[in-house]
Amino acid sequence: MSPTTLSSILEGRRSQPQQLVEVLQDVQESFGYIPEDAMQTVSKDLGVPLMEVYRVANFYKAFSLKPRGKHLITICTGTACHVRGAHLLLDQVNGQLGLEPGATTEDGFFTLERVNCLGACALGPVVVHNGNYHHHKTPNKLRKLIDSVRTTSKEETLP
Amino acid sequence: MTKLNTTNDLEALRKQITAQRKNIRTTLTLCGGTGCQASQCRDVIDAVKGALGKHGLEKSVQVRISGCHGFCEQGPLMVIEPGNIFYCHIKPEDAQDIVSKTVMSGAVIERLLYVDPVSNKTIQTEADIPFYQAQDRQLLSQNRLVDPCSIEDYIAVGGYSALVKTLFQMTSGQVIDEIKTSGLRGRGGGGFPTGRKWADCQEAPGDEKYVICNADEGDPGAYMDRSVLEGNPHLVLEGMMIGAFAIGAAQGYIYVRKEYPLAVEHAKIAVQQARECGLLGENILGSRFSFDVEIARGGGAFVCGESTALMASLEGKVGEPRSKDVHTVEEGLWHKPTTLNNVETWANVPLIIKNGAARFAAKGTNNSKGTKILALTGRVKNTGLVEVAMGTPLRTVVYDIGGGAANGKAIKAVQTGGPSGGCLPVSKFDLPVDFDALYDAGSMVGSGGMVVMDESTCMVDVAKFFLQFLQDESCGKCVPCRLGVDRMLEIITTITEGQGKPEHISLLQELAETVQETSLCGLGKTAPNPVLSTLRYFPEEYAAHINHKRCPAGVCKPLITYAIDADNCKGCGLCLSACPLGAISGEKKQAHVIDQQRCNKCGICADECKSQAVTVN
Amino acid sequence: MKQYVTLTIDGAQVRAAKGASVLDAAIEYGICIPHLCHVPNLSDIGACRLCIVEQVSNGRAKVTTSCTLNVQEGMVILSNSEKIKKLRRNIAELLVAQAPNSKAVQDVAVRCGVKDVRYPFRHSDCVLCGRCVRVCTEMWGARALGFVGRGKDRHVDFPLGKREDFCKHCGSCIMLCPMTITPCKGPMKTGEEYLCGKCEAQLMITANRPDSCVWCELGKGFQCARYSQ
Repeated sequence: MSPTTLSSILEGRRSQPQQLVEVLQDVQESFGYIPEDAMQTVSKDLGVPLMEVYRVANFYKAFSLKPRGKHLITICTGTACHVRGAHLLLDQVNGQLGLEPGATTEDGFFTLERVNCLGACALGPVVVHNGNYHHHKTPNKLRKLIDSVRTTSKEETLP
Repeated sequence: MTKLNTTNDLEALRKQITAQRKNIRTTLTLCGGTGCQASQCRDVIDAVKGALGKHGLEKSVQVRISGCHGFCEQGPLMVIEPGNIFYCHIKPEDAQDIVSKTVMSGAVIERLLYVDPVSNKTIQTEADIPFYQAQDRQLLSQNRLVDPCSIEDYIAVGGYSALVKTLFQMTSGQVIDEIKTSGLRGRGGGGFPTGRKWADCQEAPGDEKYVICNADEGDPGAYMDRSVLEGNPHLVLEGMMIGAFAIGAAQGYIYVRKEYPLAVEHAKIAVQQARECGLLGENILGSRFSFDVEIARGGGAFVCGESTALMASLEGKVGEPRSKDVHTVEEGLWHKPTTLNNVETWANVPLIIKNGAARFAAKGTNNSKGTKILALTGRVKNTGLVEVAMGTPLRTVVYDIGGGAANGKAIKAVQTGGPSGGCLPVSKFDLPVDFDALYDAGSMVGSGGMVVMDESTCMVDVAKFFLQFLQDESCGKCVPCRLGVDRMLEIITTITEGQGKPEHISLLQELAETVQETSLCGLGKTAPNPVLSTLRYFPEEYAAHINHKRCPAGVCKPLITYAIDADNCKGCGLCLSACPLGAISGEKKQAHVIDQQRCNKCGICADECKSQAVTVN
Repeated sequence: MKQYVTLTIDGAQVRAAKGASVLDAAIEYGICIPHLCHVPNLSDIGACRLCIVEQVSNGRAKVTTSCTLNVQEGMVILSNSEKIKKLRRNIAELLVAQAPNSKAVQDVAVRCGVKDVRYPFRHSDCVLCGRCVRVCTEMWGARALGFVGRGKDRHVDFPLGKREDFCKHCGSCIMLCPMTITPCKGPMKTGEEYLCGKCEAQLMITANRPDSCVWCELGKGFQCARYSQ
């Protein structure tokens, strides 16, 4: 973890306890999760007790205390998507990758998350892959998406 | 962006922008909202710009990327003026034709026109689309006219004139009276009279006050606030400015849920632009009013839509609600008087000030005035954002605007108000969209979410779904919500597994009433609504599950079996390769079989089968 | 110069200092309002919801927790109406079904009128009353304990889930915790939890004056505020 990046996140926010949530948001974006030593530094620099930093990091779903996989697959399980079969997509990922929501594959490649509504309800079921939105997803289309992500990555790592 | 020091500067700028645009003959408005982004509208926008460039039309044709039009399933979409031509499902390859045929020759491209699913007619103009015609789009229609990242667009359509009227022609008392007279009630779910809230906050002692815009829109299936904030952030800002003037606040916050990155971005740009031209800051337009706004992001917690939890989150703490024995208008953010209102509530304010309270109050019912944006989703032909006058019957929304049932299945219920609301059967469809009417019927208008359900939806499963959601989102502080919702879910799960007993119904009822009466915050207090409303209106479904161990809609997994009808099965193998658990076996061209031990009733095989050979019993 | 207000609790005129909670005022006057998460001299959070009362104003009654409600002149409070008794009993039922393995929790349940439990028993070793967290935070400022997680996952933990070095070993948390008092017959085995029902006899003393404090044995386990005075 780069101390410089954390330092730049804390720039201008030192001794401002009310900035805790925003600071952790930036840490999550930069590192993909909230490392323990980041929590300790944030506690010291913002003047927030470590217990509070830990509480906030655990309370909000946006924060992950474990590193996430290279490819984050987020499936929307809001009402509109549920009514259109979002649970089928969860079953698909479970079968294809053996993942429950919140878990990461052994090789650190894929992480599956659920989200309770992205606000694109007319286009459900919605799946987000690393920030890219996909709509009207069916289990079959999702299977193809996951397969193509694997293939593309393999191609990228080839010499 | 030049600094506007007086109202004359603002008017001069408005005239200047309007004059600059006189030469533009054609405007292409493309929707760039989150929904259309998911439909890859970016590629279409680039293609259209490219095609215009090729024909040297970049200067005379204006391309406006607007916010959400609310008709998301038709995206990517475009409206062309003059002519009001509406194109939908546009692909990048269509850009060339659009420019050469429609823009340059005025010819309409048939294949890009909208086909009304009810009448099967092809519609040429936006104004003729039945989905839009049946609505009263006071707020949403403005999305079409502005690029959310352009303060010039907002000023050109008359933006910030309500602010001018407020600052220079009215006192704070008069502003509050106007809002009171309008009858505006909170649009986020609470339905509290806005004028009264502002008055209480203005009267509260203290000279440090705050206004907050609640853009945490956590109700699944609701995206009205996203569209308004994403598509017209200056409208929300102007509303907040007027409110801040009225109650005496100098600082405001817009709290946006993290799951709306585009809304966060557009809100930030709008604030930046407003600051640059002096509409935010010290002595706005030369008045004595100073005001600034900060954007804060939510961390992924539905409970932070509750006002005290939201304020805790703004203070950098966990979003746990507190007891509201002292109201937030007296002690809110940092224990100071705070007025928290929903995005849509703020968005209604400029129009009320500009056009007068009477005009706003002319629409709606006795106790519910104005218009309401609804998110109509689920099993209807037309889904999307719908704005109707309060008092419009549910029937009109579902059938005239929604176009009635999709997939030929009979509509059974409409769920309104998100997880805090309830399910209303078809027999109640004559009820109006009205705060009190829906509340008395056991549901609520809530934030405006409206999910249509048909005979393939199990109402017991719906109650279970919402309880699971609320259990997931509960902060866990108080016993009735943490343990009560958990036990309600335990009982309902038992029922869906065929282990339900008749006494479970009365226990559910009693527990639901306890949770409703004793929970600390609104999340807990309204958590039992889906259960109570389904018990009230669909007792036969509960009876089927308990007495006959049957799920009439064929949804509850432990009560259904998937099997392949050998007569219809063609042995194509689609289901075999689609099954994520490898539970299907069979030779090519021979009837396939499902291994019941492995099958987890996910239904993917039924979805894939093209021969209707998969049966659910 | 302390200011006083007069309010009515269950028909009795009560004089209380401004800034006091309705629960404090009631306890001082000998009116018994069951409570669990309330501890004198610590902040009140209204988490257990056992101390609920009805506040009557303008002909309407609002259910709210008496520990978070500050006394006001002319307030009318009902602490033991049929409605409150039923709600309180249901809440106590939820608590004891969750964590029956504590004499204190069973006592609270009996006091609130729980006769049978209609949910499957669970074997939780914490009722999340927050007494430990609040005493650690407010009395000693050690902040060695805190509520971590949301909803079902909510539990008490150390910073980072492992930093015990913040603890000052004062023992206050253990003293206040209702789960440290095991049932009279000893700890219950998981899967064999039951409602003891022995101390129901205690309630016979209060049968004639159900809302008065009679210094019953039931308050001892969880250090009911009357005992703490």
